[in-house]
Amino acid sequence: MSLNEVWEAASASPFQPLVPKDSQFFVGFCLLLLAVIFTGLFGLNRSFLSLASVGLPASLLFGFGSVFMICAVGVYV
Amino acid sequence: MRFFTATVLGLLTSSLAAATNLTSPSRLALPADFKPQQVFKNTNLVRNTNLEKGYVRETINVVVENIDKQAQTDYYIPFPSDVFERVGGFEVRDKKATDKGRFVVDATEAVSTSGNQYFIVHLPEPLAPKSQITLGISYSVLNSLSPRPATIGQSDKQYLHYAFSAYVPSAYQTITQKTKVKFPSTDVPDYTTTSDLKSGADPERKGATYTYGPYDTAKVVPGTEYPIAVRYEFTNPVVTVHLLERDLEVSHWGGNLATEDRYWLRNNGSELTSQFSRVDWTFANYQRAPTSAVREITYPLKPGSVDPYFIDDIGNVSTSRYRPGNGKTAGNLELKPRYPIFGGWNYSFKVGWNNDLAAFLRETAKPDSWVLKVPFIQGPKASEGVQYERVVVRVVLPEGAHNVRFQTAEGSSSNGLPGANQIHASLSSFKTFMDTLGRTTLTLEVDGLTDEARDAELIVTYDYTLMDALRKPLTLFGGLLSVFIALWAISNIDVSIKKR
Repeated sequence: MSLNEVWEAASASPFQPLVPKDSQFFVGFCLLLLAVIFTGLFGLNRSFLSLASVGLPASLLFGFGSVFMICAVGVYV
Repeated sequence: MRFFTATVLGLLTSSLAAATNLTSPSRLALPADFKPQQVFKNTNLVRNTNLEKGYVRETINVVVENIDKQAQTDYYIPFPSDVFERVGGFEVRDKKATDKGRFVVDATEAVSTSGNQYFIVHLPEPLAPKSQITLGISYSVLNSLSPRPATIGQSDKQYLHYAFSAYVPSAYQTITQKTKVKFPSTDVPDYTTTSDLKSGADPERKGATYTYGPYDTAKVVPGTEYPIAVRYEFTNPVVTVHLLERDLEVSHWGGNLATEDRYWLRNNGSELTSQFSRVDWTFANYQRAPTSAVREITYPLKPGSVDPYFIDDIGNVSTSRYRPGNGKTAGNLELKPRYPIFGGWNYSFKVGWNNDLAAFLRETAKPDSWVLKVPFIQGPKASEGVQYERVVVRVVLPEGAHNVRFQTAEGSSSNGLPGANQIHASLSSFKTFMDTLGRTTLTLEVDGLTDEARDAELIVTYDYTLMDALRKPLTLFGGLLSVFIALWAISNIDVSIKKR
């Protein structure tokens, strides 16, 4: 099977980005803002409970938020 | 973290090793006294030489007959070594069944006694004794046109000189042959007239087409030359791209295909006799008079192309205009170089733009497997043509992509590219923003292309799983979480001064 046939066979399933280009800034900004707020909350109370309840989500939000934000500013990673 | 890095590094190493169908052009070595066996006869041969562009485009249609007692598969096409290196986009098809695709062609090293190099055409089915096949051979010869006079005034007409043999170089006996030369205009001040090759006028002229022959060459030894030279008007730039580097960056997270083309351009036309005059140039420009300089470059872009830029060694060049298409039609990027590029002058620049990835990427039936279809080169569209001495195309796939395969799309007519075995392909890793391991990069290198290859398309398939995609956010997640854990641990250390 030539790769052109693979391309033709896949015509019904074009790539769909997780977040469209137009929404990347909004999504990235929101996630990063939440990450900053959660980081602040963790800074106020650095207990293990706070690490698990606030630090962990803050890290997750920062991870995804920064990926969307760097895409939104034109560095497509 | 180290375990994580080691694991993904291991995955990548195996993935690079597992990548298939990578090619590296090799040339067959032949014995010093090699001569192809006389197993074929060219019954009739017609060569069309097109000089309308800044390079030579030749198509040869030849009826080949097997005169041996056994079936034959290999047909040799000779070129002198210095010409061989400048032949680009060499392709052979069965003229009567062009939709069956191109034949496999191998290149050889030079044979020391004759100085010839050969293309060996492998016929898909052995040609039985006494049977015939019509071959359609097409190729371009780069850098074979020389300006005469070599220096001209700024507003003068430019003339090019082209030398070739009236007898088409062939390894086999040819019964009849003729050559049709197509000029860009009827202004052909000098051309060789032959006296003893055929009865009647030779060449026969019809508008801008000159026909040498037909000649009865049954008794002419293969390899005999009869030099012909023509000189014709070509008041257009001879645009030569010394090197084109093209980057295509695929981003699944951003849903974007970023393209950047970097050009090292030269005009191979007549040089200026005297110093450049800005006044004369402005005057000629105002009249839109034909010129041997590159005045403007029109660069068609695919529908949906956005964020174009045009930068040279100094910085942003503001004399450009982008006319975006209306969503379905192609856009045009109109570039005016910082200065007109006269004969012998160089200009290097880069252009880039973005596209939505959805138009170029599809998910195949196999889970986590993707197929990408992108133009091999895009480049300027100009009536005078563009020749590319060397093209390096880099497809930067997302980090973690593996099992990479590629192919160029083939149609019923020439796509301007050489055969797959003449394209040098390699895989490497390219590290840039937010990368832990580097992105899988497919690099394709081709020598000797022309703007005929503008319509050629490259198809790449690769595997890219959810875990590969999550590598970036999870790395950042791990980094920040480590900071939080460190903060928590440090804040729990009791540093108070008290009695324990």
